Parts: sequence; structure tokens; C-alpha cells
Amino acid sequence: MSDQTLRIPAVRVIPQRWRSRMGAKRPIGLLIGLLLLLGFGFMGLSPFLFDLPAPDEMDLLARLSGPTAAHPLGTDHLGRDLLARLVGAVPVSLGAALAAMALILAMSLPWGVVSALAGGKVDMVMMRLADIIMAFPMLVLALAVIGFLGASLEASIIGVAAAWWPSNARLVRALVLSAAQREFVAAARLTGASRSRVVLRHILPQVLPPLAVIISLETASVLLALSSLSFLGIGAQPPTPEWGAMLNEARPFFTQAPHMLLVPGFAVTFAVLAFNLVGEGLRAWLDKREPYQW
Amino acid sequence: MLRFILIRLASAIPTLLGMSFVAFLIVALAPGDPVMMELRAMGIMPEPEDIAALQAEFGLDKPLLLRYLDWLGHALRFEFGTSIATGRPVMDEIALYLPATLSLAASALLGAIALSLTLGGLAATAGQFFGAGLRGLTILLVSVPSFWLALLLIYVFVLHLGWARLVGDSSLPDLVLPAMTLSLAAGAALGRMVYERIRAEMSEDHIRLAIAKGLGPIQILLGHIAPRIIGPLITAWANAFGGLLGGAVVVESIFGWPGLGQLILQAISQRDFPVIQGYLVLMGLTFFLTSLLADIAVILTDPQLRRRLEHE
Repeated sequence: MSDQTLRIPAVRVIPQRWRSRMGAKRPIGLLIGLLLLLGFGFMGLSPFLFDLPAPDEMDLLARLSGPTAAHPLGTDHLGRDLLARLVGAVPVSLGAALAAMALILAMSLPWGVVSALAGGKVDMVMMRLADIIMAFPMLVLALAVIGFLGASLEASIIGVAAAWWPSNARLVRALVLSAAQREFVAAARLTGASRSRVVLRHILPQVLPPLAVIISLETASVLLALSSLSFLGIGAQPPTPEWGAMLNEARPFFTQAPHMLLVPGFAVTFAVLAFNLVGEGLRAWLDKREPYQW
Repeated sequence: MLRFILIRLASAIPTLLGMSFVAFLIVALAPGDPVMMELRAMGIMPEPEDIAALQAEFGLDKPLLLRYLDWLGHALRFEFGTSIATGRPVMDEIALYLPATLSLAASALLGAIALSLTLGGLAATAGQFFGAGLRGLTILLVSVPSFWLALLLIYVFVLHLGWARLVGDSSLPDLVLPAMTLSLAAGAALGRMVYERIRAEMSEDHIRLAIAKGLGPIQILLGHIAPRIIGPLITAWANAFGGLLGGAVVVESIFGWPGLGQLILQAISQRDFPVIQGYLVLMGLTFFLTSLLADIAVILTDPQLRRRLEHE
């Protein structure tokens, strides 16, 4: 890069090498995020590896007990093992978030790509329709959809997907538009490459890295929304083990058994954190700009 | 300027119509016959011809589009019918709780703006390690679910320190904890954006020029970066307000803040469609007005756009 030589000298007090190694380019966050995700994956598999009690098996003699040898994380108000419920909730909570994300992508990817490539009136109408949905606050629309369908985990997934897809479609459209403006895309088109070849070979590879960032960050926000809905009692219904629903059940026993509150809360936080860290880490890693410093 | 506002308003009409149609469909397509529900709520087992007569009276035998126009006429006067659960007009119920929700969301927004500018500004200007730490804190704050944060704050401030109480008379001191809960996550998310924006500006040549002129960090931040990022930030604030209106439901239910949250949760569990519809319309409208105000504010803060509008 030629403008490297034109840099403000003050910056060069610190040697270039050392700076870039200590800077944001070092993907610590990304690594922590990936490790956390691996940990959750392992947790989800652990019922097959270890001997855990069933998530809704009740030990009525040990209700609201703190951590003991038999129940490493304690039990809840019905004497159910919290570790077993925590682990049993992994496929439910994360599965719901991933299912919602899949639904969102299934809507937003075709919508954004078609809108960007078609242009003109089609683009305008498609974006107008997306704008109408986006004009509602997202969680409010999700609540209304859940009200329409009746409270259940499936309804909350559909509600969240219905409220989240338009903003995603807009992002996809913007990514495709800026990718399509690149000169080598025009060159490919001029050399007679077919439309699908231009999209698949020249535009898609450019869109994928920023899209990975978006997907990761969106999964975090979807996970938060879904567990909030379960916490409010209009998502996953008891006795399904789900982190938000577990927290909701823990509310009356707030002072007696704080461990009931801490266990699922940490689970949600770490899961959301993992997706956020991966997204932010990827973004920082892909970011080629270097800000000028005073 | 006035012309711009008028154009913006005119272009908003299709969106508003679309929004109202979405809100209408949610009730019109809802499972269960509203007439039957109403009658069952009154404890009457009706004859088929009575049902037909009632459906004709409420206009339910007309085609969907006609019913929509009919509904729209009422909705324009903020008439959404009566609540199935309580039998009172939906608007009365909502008007009772709306101010509490709005004041919660607005104070949370103010907190979030202050927090985001502090976090983002510090993260962008701080040294390597401090900046990385601030960014880490931001990501952590974004990741903590508000319902859990609320419970933790109650545990610390209400149960242990006794600085706040849970069952209040919804006076100003009672607003502090719920508003704080809401604004922490929103402020962190906005702070991330402030950081990104400042960083993007700092990669621009005009900042390099400012540094070369020998201006200090404060001067560059306030004089050169702030005017360029204020527009996008206002838009982001308006968007955040929508998130806060939704997030208020969660926080209100925990702190017992007498806002719309309790009402809508009850309505969902009782399948009280008129209330759900009224809630959706009013929240949508509030959010819509916020975005409109933000758009106008963006124009006012951007000299280039303002000049172009004046010359048109």
C-alpha cells in the first residue's frame, strides 16, 4: 500500500510489527467465542457421554437444595437436577435460536439478493414491503404474532423470524449491491459469463465473509429474544427445559435459592456472548482499515 | 424544509397503510370466531341464525377488503373495539398504561445515549489495552439478557442494599432501576456503533489532515468527527427506541412497572385479539413517529443535505 509511507510520523514511534500484533487483529475474542461454542456443543452431547438424571426427574426430598455431591449445581423447586436441566436445555435453547436464524435466512437471502439484482420497480416494491414490517418495533411484532398463534416455543420462533427477517434482507441487499459494483464483476459480465455464474462465482464469495459476521451477531440477538419470550412465559412452556423458562420458574424462589437464578442466567449470557464474540472477532479480523491515531 | 417534511409525510402514507393492514390481518385471520367468543364470554349458547344475524351486524360476512376499510375508518379514530377479557374499550385500557411505558422507554433512551457516547468515545480514543477492555465490556453488556440483569439488580439494590423498592407508586425514583436495566444493554449496543463510526471516520483523510495540523484529540473528536457521525447516530437512536419499546415488556413484568407490558402479556395468554391489535398499532405508530422525527433531525444536522434541499 502506497499510503503506508505517507503516515503521520507520530504513529511510527511504536514499531509497526509490534503494533499490529498487539492490536485488534489478534483474534482473542474470536478464539474465546469459538471455544465457548465448542463448550456448548460438548454440553449438548454430554447426556450421551455421562450418566445424568433426566431433566424432568424429580427428587422431592432434595427440593431447592444447593450444590451437593448428588446434584453438582443444586436442584429446583420440584427437586429436578439443575445440571441435567441446564444440559437438557442446550438443544432446546440453541436449537430454537438456530431454527429461527435458518427461517430468517430462508426469507432474507432470496429477498435481498433478488431485490438487489432485479433493481428498479421490483427492488422498490420488495424493499417497501420489508419497510412495512420494519416499521414495527421487532419484539412488539413478535409478541403480536405469538398472540395470533398462541403461546408456544414454535410460535415464538415464528414470531421472532417474522419480525427479524426484513432488517436482514436489507443488509443482504446492501452487501450484494456493493459487491455487484466491483469492477471485476463488471468484467466477468462483459466477458459473457452467465448471470448465475456471476452471482455464484463473483458476487457470493464477496458477500459470504460479511454475511458470516451478520449471521453470528443476529443469532446472538435472536437467542436473547427467544429466551426473553420464554422468560415471559410465552415461549417454551414448562416442563420443557429452556434457560429463559428456567429463570422464570426460579423467580418465586429468588431469595431462598439464588443458585436457581445464577445457573440458567450464566448459560444464556455465555451463549449470547459466544455468538457476539465470534461475530465481532470475525468483523475485526476482516477489517482492513487502519485508523489514524493522534 | 417544510416541503421536505411534506414529501416525507406523503411517502410515509403507503407504509402506514401497509402497517395498518398487517395489524388488521392479525385479528381478521385469527383463529376462532370473535362473535362466538364474545357470546361465550357472556355465557350464551347461541342458535345458528342468531350467529348469522350478529355476524351481519358486525359486518363479518363482508369480503376482507371491505372489512379492512371499515376497520381503518375506526382505527383512524383510535377505535379498536372492546377488550374480550374486560369488556372495556381497548383504547381506554391502553391509554391507562401507555404513559408509563413511554416514560420508561424515553428515560432508558436518554441513559443509553449518554452511556453509548461515553463507552464508544472512550473505546475509540483510549490506548490499546484500555480500549480493548472497554470493547470487551461492551460485548459483555450486550450479551447479558435484560431479564437476568434485572433480577441481579433487584438482588443487589433491593434485597441487599435496600436502596430501591419493588412495589412502588410508580414515582420517579421507582423508574431508576427499570430504566437502568433497559439502558445498559441498549447503551452498549449503541456504544459499539459509536465506536465503529468514530473508527471509520478516523480512517479518513480529513482526520489525517486535522492531525497534521496539530489539533488535539478533543478538538478532532468534537469538531471533525462528531458533526459527521451525528446523522447516522440519530437514526440509530430512533431505531434503539423501537427496541426499548419492545424490551420494556420484559423489564416491566419484572419490576412491576405499570406499563403496557402486563396488559399485552395478559392479552396474549387470554387471546384478547383487540388488545393485541391496539397495542401493535400504537407501538408501531409511536416508533414510526420517532423515525420521522429522527429523519427531520438528520436533515437539520447535515449542512450538505440542508443546502441541497433549499436549492431544489
